[in-house]
Amino acid sequence: MSSTTGDSETSSEPAERGGGRDADDAGPYTRWVRRSIDDPRRTYRAMFYVVTIFFLVTTLFPFYWLLVVALTPEDALSNIGLTPNGFNPGSFVEVFQVLPFHVYMFNSFVIALSTTVVVLVLASFAGYVFGRIDFPGRAPLMLLLLAISFFPPAGFIIPLFQLFTGNVEVLGVSSPMLFNTPFAIMLPAGALYMPLSIFILTTFYGQIPDGLEDAARVEGATRFGALFRVIVPLSAPGVATAGVLTFIYVYNEFFFSFLMTNGEAENWAPLVWGILGYQTQYTALYNLMAASSIIGLLPVAILVVLAQEKIISGLTSGALKE
Amino acid sequence: MSSEQQTESDVQRRSGAYAGAIRWAENLNDTQFAYLLLLPSFLLLFVIAIAPLVMTFDLSLHSDSLRGAQQVGRFVGLDNYAALLTGRLDTVALPNPFVDPSAPFQSALFVTAIFTVVSILLETVIGFGQALVLDQDFRGRRWVRVAIILPWAVPIVIQGMIFYLIFTPGIGFGVGVAQAIGFSGTPLTNPAEAIWLIILADVWKTSAFMALLILAGLQSIDRSLYDVAKVAGASKWQQFRLVTLPLVLPTLLVAMLFRTLDAARIYGLAETMAGCTTVPTLSCLVVTTFSVRRYATAAAVAFVTAAIIGLIASIYIVRFYRSEGGI
Repeated sequence: MSSTTGDSETSSEPAERGGGRDADDAGPYTRWVRRSIDDPRRTYRAMFYVVTIFFLVTTLFPFYWLLVVALTPEDALSNIGLTPNGFNPGSFVEVFQVLPFHVYMFNSFVIALSTTVVVLVLASFAGYVFGRIDFPGRAPLMLLLLAISFFPPAGFIIPLFQLFTGNVEVLGVSSPMLFNTPFAIMLPAGALYMPLSIFILTTFYGQIPDGLEDAARVEGATRFGALFRVIVPLSAPGVATAGVLTFIYVYNEFFFSFLMTNGEAENWAPLVWGILGYQTQYTALYNLMAASSIIGLLPVAILVVLAQEKIISGLTSGALKE
Repeated sequence: MSSEQQTESDVQRRSGAYAGAIRWAENLNDTQFAYLLLLPSFLLLFVIAIAPLVMTFDLSLHSDSLRGAQQVGRFVGLDNYAALLTGRLDTVALPNPFVDPSAPFQSALFVTAIFTVVSILLETVIGFGQALVLDQDFRGRRWVRVAIILPWAVPIVIQGMIFYLIFTPGIGFGVGVAQAIGFSGTPLTNPAEAIWLIILADVWKTSAFMALLILAGLQSIDRSLYDVAKVAGASKWQQFRLVTLPLVLPTLLVAMLFRTLDAARIYGLAETMAGCTTVPTLSCLVVTTFSVRRYATAAAVAFVTAAIIGLIASIYIVRFYRSEGGI
């Protein structure tokens, strides 16, 4: 009703911009609409807030609901809505009693951390070569690297499984039994994510001025000395970027983590097996699945909050390598 | 000169073998030194990726050996591939019915293709929206950015678990929502329905990745172009269509291609949410045939998967090679 009044007034006095007289007899919504028509920037602003809130809700709601499930007591686990049916923070303790979840977390941590260290050392060598040395074969080798980073894990799981279970013989010596050891996950996960680190470090190492390296060499540093005492420290942000991304990727890895162990915590089974372990043939402990998922999320969530700039720069430079 | 001698004595104070190795490395020329440093990483890649891929191809040229001590039977050439494509192996070797129970391999191809195409289209649109939001200057931008990236960092198993819980009958609110749009009461056990839920879960996690790449493209646009557009009287929509979109397009295409390669190898999400028997993707099919000891068939499926992804990747690689032509 008030909107019709508003309309007639605006049409009769088009020059008047949301003046005091209109505001008296129009409702707040009408006034807002009228001002928005006069000034489109307000409309864009409003649209922007609506869209932003929509994205925030859609990305964050699943996390919130996971917490709701985790806090719901075991006997009230049905048709969980927006709030928990009861309040039972004890599930965060029970998680560790039903399964040795801390061991799974520890295994994942050790695997991700040691893979990251090894990848950073190997990728530093390769990044130094690709970034700072002009040598024959550079372009084809970088292409090979790029191609390998796209390989689907399914393409080499079968021979790799045989290799890691001691079923491949090379010159009469059978391969070591790596199945159920951390190496069975570290080696393939490391190989799969190393090309990304190499590309990131190639960019960073390539940007260090030649003069600094030459100065170190004149001062008597060896080639390795110049690399690890000059180039690497000066590229600390790049090394951190590669490190954070490698850690997140290996910690999140599913394929080899799932297939390269038998799932026993004492056999270095990682997080994947811990979280899937609350569902057995006989029971499905939904609240514990949710609680363990939240605990498993914490390390990566903390990394995202602390190192978001590194993650963004690493992802974009790694993917949009041009 | 004196500093060089100092290095020599410095080196000699350490153990003989170490000093010898250092001196040997110092005396290599640039090319030799480059290959020395590349040796460890390429050795790892050879053992883990290159050699196994060749071995996969070799395995795929043999017949399955279900009873013998041997892993695979006699050499059969390309027989497995012919059998896969013509559907001769279907009822014997491949357990997973999907669209058409009598043609599991075609089903897996179909499932993987649907998943890849639909999820990437949705992720591109949503990622573009998120990138446009993150491109604005506003208070609390840092925290909005954290919130949008957060799903990207979620481990696959936890992503699968979240959506498994949401769509588990009697537990999650998602079942009711799904039923409201015509799904059955147990959407995760119904192949034709589960695939859409898996796409939803993937869009939730990976849109952020697209958003970040598109954001990088947006931020490389010269802001003065927008001033010119404004002076010329372009509306916001015209600015987007005539300035933003054409300039972001190259980045957008690379990002989409990159995501395609990743989406085509989907395994973990399907396994944790619905199980590989419900939604058999190509990677799923490799693992299921492998676990019933049909190594040769599994290898053939694996090699086809790698070949398809390799074909898509070659588009990107050719592009990369052209732009890196100067190296």
